[in-house]
Amino acid sequence: MEYPELKKGEVDLGTSIMGVAFDGGVVIGADSRTTTGSYIANRVSDKLTQLADNIYCCRSGSAADTQAVAEYVKFHLAMHKEEIGGEPKVSVAARVVGSMVYNNKDSLMAGIIIAGWDEVDGGSVHIVPLGGGVVKMPFAIGGSGSTYIYGWVDDNYKEGMTRDECIEFVRNGLALAMARDGSSGGLIRMAVIDKDGVERMMIPGNELPRFFDK
Amino acid sequence: MSIMTYNGAAIIAMKGKDCVAIASDTRLGIQAMTVATDFQKVFKIHDYLYLGMAGLATDVQTLDALFQFKHNMFALRENRNMSPSAFLAMVSSTLYSKRFGPYFVEPVVAGLTVKPDGSVEPYVGGTDLIGCISSPDGFAVSGTMSEALYGPCESMYKPDLEPEDLFETISQCMLAGVDRDAVSGWGVVVHIITKDEVITRHLKNRMD
Amino acid sequence: MASMNDVVQSLKPAGGFEFDLCARNNMLKQMGLKAPKATSTGTTIVGLVYKDGVVLGADTRATGDTTVEDKNCEKIHYIAPNVYCCGAGTAADTENTTALISSQLELHRLATGRHSRVVTALTLLKRMLFRYQGHVSAALVLGGVDLNGPHLYTIYPHGSTDELPYVTMGSGSLAAMGVFEAGWKENMSEDEAVDLVAAAIRAGIFNDLGSGSNVDVTIIRGVDDVEVRRGYQILNPRPYARVRPNDLTRGTTTILSETRTPIHAGHVEYTNEDAVDMETSPVESGGPSSS
Repeated sequence: MEYPELKKGEVDLGTSIMGVAFDGGVVIGADSRTTTGSYIANRVSDKLTQLADNIYCCRSGSAADTQAVAEYVKFHLAMHKEEIGGEPKVSVAARVVGSMVYNNKDSLMAGIIIAGWDEVDGGSVHIVPLGGGVVKMPFAIGGSGSTYIYGWVDDNYKEGMTRDECIEFVRNGLALAMARDGSSGGLIRMAVIDKDGVERMMIPGNELPRFFDK
Repeated sequence: MSIMTYNGAAIIAMKGKDCVAIASDTRLGIQAMTVATDFQKVFKIHDYLYLGMAGLATDVQTLDALFQFKHNMFALRENRNMSPSAFLAMVSSTLYSKRFGPYFVEPVVAGLTVKPDGSVEPYVGGTDLIGCISSPDGFAVSGTMSEALYGPCESMYKPDLEPEDLFETISQCMLAGVDRDAVSGWGVVVHIITKDEVITRHLKNRMD
Repeated sequence: MASMNDVVQSLKPAGGFEFDLCARNNMLKQMGLKAPKATSTGTTIVGLVYKDGVVLGADTRATGDTTVEDKNCEKIHYIAPNVYCCGAGTAADTENTTALISSQLELHRLATGRHSRVVTALTLLKRMLFRYQGHVSAALVLGGVDLNGPHLYTIYPHGSTDELPYVTMGSGSLAAMGVFEAGWKENMSEDEAVDLVAAAIRAGIFNDLGSGSNVDVTIIRGVDDVEVRRGYQILNPRPYARVRPNDLTRGTTTILSETRTPIHAGHVEYTNEDAVDMETSPVESGGPSSS
């Protein structure tokens, strides 16, 4: 089987995305660059998309495909919420995304991180890569920029990080990825999801953490 | 080679004062080989409306039959004729329904719209092969050498010409254009449509 | 044997696209005959949110390959009384896509009795374009004002969308975006907004070969408060009109044959004089009763 490729002229979310679970919640983050070829079609995009009250996803791949998947999943979760009479679980959301991507694997270019908080599992992070698999992980990275920071995250991830340490981890990871990946850039958008709800954060492009080039 | 140039054609429609004109060449070819010199490319839809089609000859004839049929059904149902702009909208939607497997024609219409007070308003317009309407101010052209037709039209056309002057203008534009196209020509037919009559003239031109 | 009615039915459009000519067209392609290009709008289209509304702008050139097919075409399409949409890409696609969604919204308004929202137009457009997987090549700038205030979106042919305070699309989008990035401010006045939009379109007209002719501007301030300024700036008028020959002398063209067909009165006319106005005044007595 061949994996789908971006069609000519299709909008790409070049992208660096991350999600990390901590005790009691999750931190997610993404860059803000959307490209058509070498042109930046949107330099302030929001790739963190809400799927339910307590569940978000980070989108990478084709902008059109991931927006369509998010719209469908949002609908299914809203129906599911009415059926069970409560907030859907993050793992359920991840499975819905997974089956959507799996059943349309020939035509969807979508790599999605699903993260959120629910009463059963607390904060959790799941990743749905290109073929539609679903993997639960303590943290996940994705998008073209993630390849540059695999070593860094493996080195710097510590079990039992606090909420603030997780924010720091996501911020530094994304800044490093965005610095090396031409398809990622702009500013960093983050969200913390816990039992109290969602807190959105934004780091402007001129206030990103810097490293050896300080 | 493009499908649009397989059979060859040249068509112009022009607005005058209370009149319109539409002209076409009469050659039918299979690439460089001339097969017929009396091929019809302009069709009467009703007294005040003529349709010209350039492109693949088989599609020109198929669509003539289809549009004729559609207009007849409309006239039977509504007891009136289609106005030129309504007819072109029908042509447009017919062509767009075949967006992903199109007919290879570029239609041009010339006609008179009858206003409630009984006076007539000239109309010319055309579409591309998938039905994108353009209704220009003065003239519309279509065919294998549209570049060579645009030039003389841009230069010689002016608004509000009387029928006989419109005839000279459209004819000279047509002859000039057709002489620079290897796959159209071999006879030119011009229709001038006024409130009271339709004048159809065959022109003398180069037969090479 | 097929009856006349069967024939009539078979010729009625079923709705949606038809693919019956594809096999033949592929055969022609295999014969080495190239498929022609449809009219496209090279295009510069832009949109800008200002203090209390949205300004949309467009150039007016339509091209077929390198020929200018239309020097003054309309690229700002009506969607609803409070929503308009600029289109770039294949001209037939932008024309039909916007018209289709416009009619769906009109029916929706009649069914609900409420004004259309810009997000509704956005969702209908993006779903349709996504369904066709980019084959319907319409790149759109959608703008409007509803109960939630002014909104501006871009929609790409594959169905992805962005919401931004200022946007550009089409082949001239880079030139136009340069102007926006240099001149955009938050909370602009209407005059400032229109000036900036016109400057962005001019950048496209003069620097992009696919764009040309005039600047069209549409200002959406609110529901039923829309100003369509067609030909807002006429930048490229014909500098010279031919003087001679003033008229070609009659008889210049040699005529081989002529037929004159008089058009007689009594033919089917467009206006039906037998038509009677519908009775709308109240019935005095003897009208329908419920007894």
